[in-house]
Amino acid sequence: MNEEKETSKKKQMKFSPGTFILGIIVLFALILVFTSFFIVDATEQAVITRFGRYHKTLGSGLQFKLPFGIDKNYNIPVKVVQTEQFGYKTIKGGITNKYSNEMFRESTMLTGDLNIVDVEWIIQYRIVDPSAWLFNVKDKQKTIRDISQSVINTLVGDRAILDVMTTERSNIQNNAVEMMNENFKSLGLGINIITVQLQNVVPPADVQAAFEDVNKASQDMERFINEGLERYNAEIPLAKGVADQQIQIAEGYAINKVNRAQGDVSRFLAVYEEYRKAPAVTRDRLYLEAMEQIFKAKQNTTLVDKELQNILPIKNLGGAQ
Amino acid sequence: MKKFTIGLIIVIAVFIVFLMMGPFYIINEGNQVVVTRFGEIVETHTEAGLYFKIPFIDIVTTYPKLILSIDGDSQRIPTKENQFIIVDTTSRWKISDPALFYQSFKTLEAAYTRLSDVIDSATRTIITQNRLSEIVRSSNLINEEESIDPSIESLSDEATDQISSLINVATKSESVYKGRRHLTNEMAIEAQKMLPQYGIELIDILPRQIKYSDEMTESVYNRMIKERNKVAQAYRSFGEGQKADQLGKLEKDKKRIESEAFRTAQEIKGKADAEASKIYADAFSVDPEFYTFWKSLESYQETIPLFDASFSTSMDYFKYLYNARGR
Repeated sequence: MNEEKETSKKKQMKFSPGTFILGIIVLFALILVFTSFFIVDATEQAVITRFGRYHKTLGSGLQFKLPFGIDKNYNIPVKVVQTEQFGYKTIKGGITNKYSNEMFRESTMLTGDLNIVDVEWIIQYRIVDPSAWLFNVKDKQKTIRDISQSVINTLVGDRAILDVMTTERSNIQNNAVEMMNENFKSLGLGINIITVQLQNVVPPADVQAAFEDVNKASQDMERFINEGLERYNAEIPLAKGVADQQIQIAEGYAINKVNRAQGDVSRFLAVYEEYRKAPAVTRDRLYLEAMEQIFKAKQNTTLVDKELQNILPIKNLGGAQ
Repeated sequence: MKKFTIGLIIVIAVFIVFLMMGPFYIINEGNQVVVTRFGEIVETHTEAGLYFKIPFIDIVTTYPKLILSIDGDSQRIPTKENQFIIVDTTSRWKISDPALFYQSFKTLEAAYTRLSDVIDSATRTIITQNRLSEIVRSSNLINEEESIDPSIESLSDEATDQISSLINVATKSESVYKGRRHLTNEMAIEAQKMLPQYGIELIDILPRQIKYSDEMTESVYNRMIKERNKVAQAYRSFGEGQKADQLGKLEKDKKRIESEAFRTAQEIKGKADAEASKIYADAFSVDPEFYTFWKSLESYQETIPLFDASFSTSMDYFKYLYNARGR
């Protein structure tokens, strides 16, 4: 019994350092695994430094590095397009985005004709060189914003306010991409600007009314011009119609006149033809017929005897019975 | 055996203590260090990697090797023509010589203060020497392109010419000889002059934003408003002018149309009258005496009934009234 106890105690004494060492080995192995394997997402690349020095860049997947902090990995999203907004800020992105453009500070700038304009814009970029991105520039986001602001200010400063708001927009965008990339390249930032997009380009709030009034004025101008044309169109076709009417009437008169003349003449000539054959008789007949017609047409006409000379015939002056 | 174990343990312990004192240090990528021993600079390292030092005696000061940013203060600076503008600059710099930098500043904070002074002073120097347009613009692009207001594009060329001659009076901007880029380079050069003894390299100075001082902003707004008003006025008055022109044209065309119609009508009538006369004359001149007789009879029939007349029996018509032989 005593002996047995002794042996079991010995066993315990023997096992416990063994378990301890085993535990340490397991722990060691775990740390080894956790510090030497790491995952690189499909959108990322990993930059590996060995003793702080740049070693290599790895692609996506399960990757291996030297354990215990000898190698360090920095995962950099290289496929993600990143956006920076200037002059406004998306407060809450969603189906309907909410914006705040209380940032007058950075959107106000001077134009080439020394006017003031508010410009809002965004840039989109992607990291193309992860090691350059990590090890060349300290305040990266600030640098990106500073350069971008400076470039847009420069481009807007070279153009007239109206052009900035209208025709030169796309020129500014294209030039901005170029100039920003040039700048970032010389700083070795390792990014590539994909797009620069101007958003709202408007005159400052205090003068907006005046700018809008110009638009209204140009509408007014067109309205005036149209009013003139409208009056013209209202009256001229009518006048033309009336003129045509007068001419038609005149032509009617002419036709009437000529036809009547020809009619009269034809009748005269017909009678004259007969008259030539027997002038004296015809002349008397015509005279008598005419007189007959006259007296027929007149009733109650006074006939005065030719013998009654110097006597005023008494007439019934009332005329009506 | 036992001795050996004890010896091994001692060696391991000494090694661990040695390691714990930190003879090795790592310089990460993007950093550089200055190593000092008893206050003296013994070495500088600008490359990343694993390095050795004497524990407790060597002190390692780490500086960034990266490009750093610094914002100038937003300053109110008068330009050459004495207009006050607010210039907000930003610049990039780096520590080009860590040993010199260590001697001059020791800490980054001290360097920022000094740099800020240098940059502000360089900015001020250059801006006070130049006109506003030189600072705002980079080229004479603005004078090369004829800017046409899009709202008048719909008009005819002639009208567009007329109206842009009204609007664009004296919009020619003054020429720029140096321009913004050149001036920012000058600023950087000016600032760099004061910096090499500090081990600092200034990469650029960029005006991030230029704007008018508050009191100037007010008057610039007024100018902009007046300018727009001028344009608006031009549009309206041009429109009204066009309308008046159109109404005048209307009056003219109306009169022309009416008078032309009158003239044509008269001509037609006159011609017809003439033709009728000719027809009569041709026919009647065959026997004028008979015509007169015949026409008289015709005419009497028309007109006599209209008179309130008394007739005398002396007319030929009554020749046989008193006897069968006539008179």
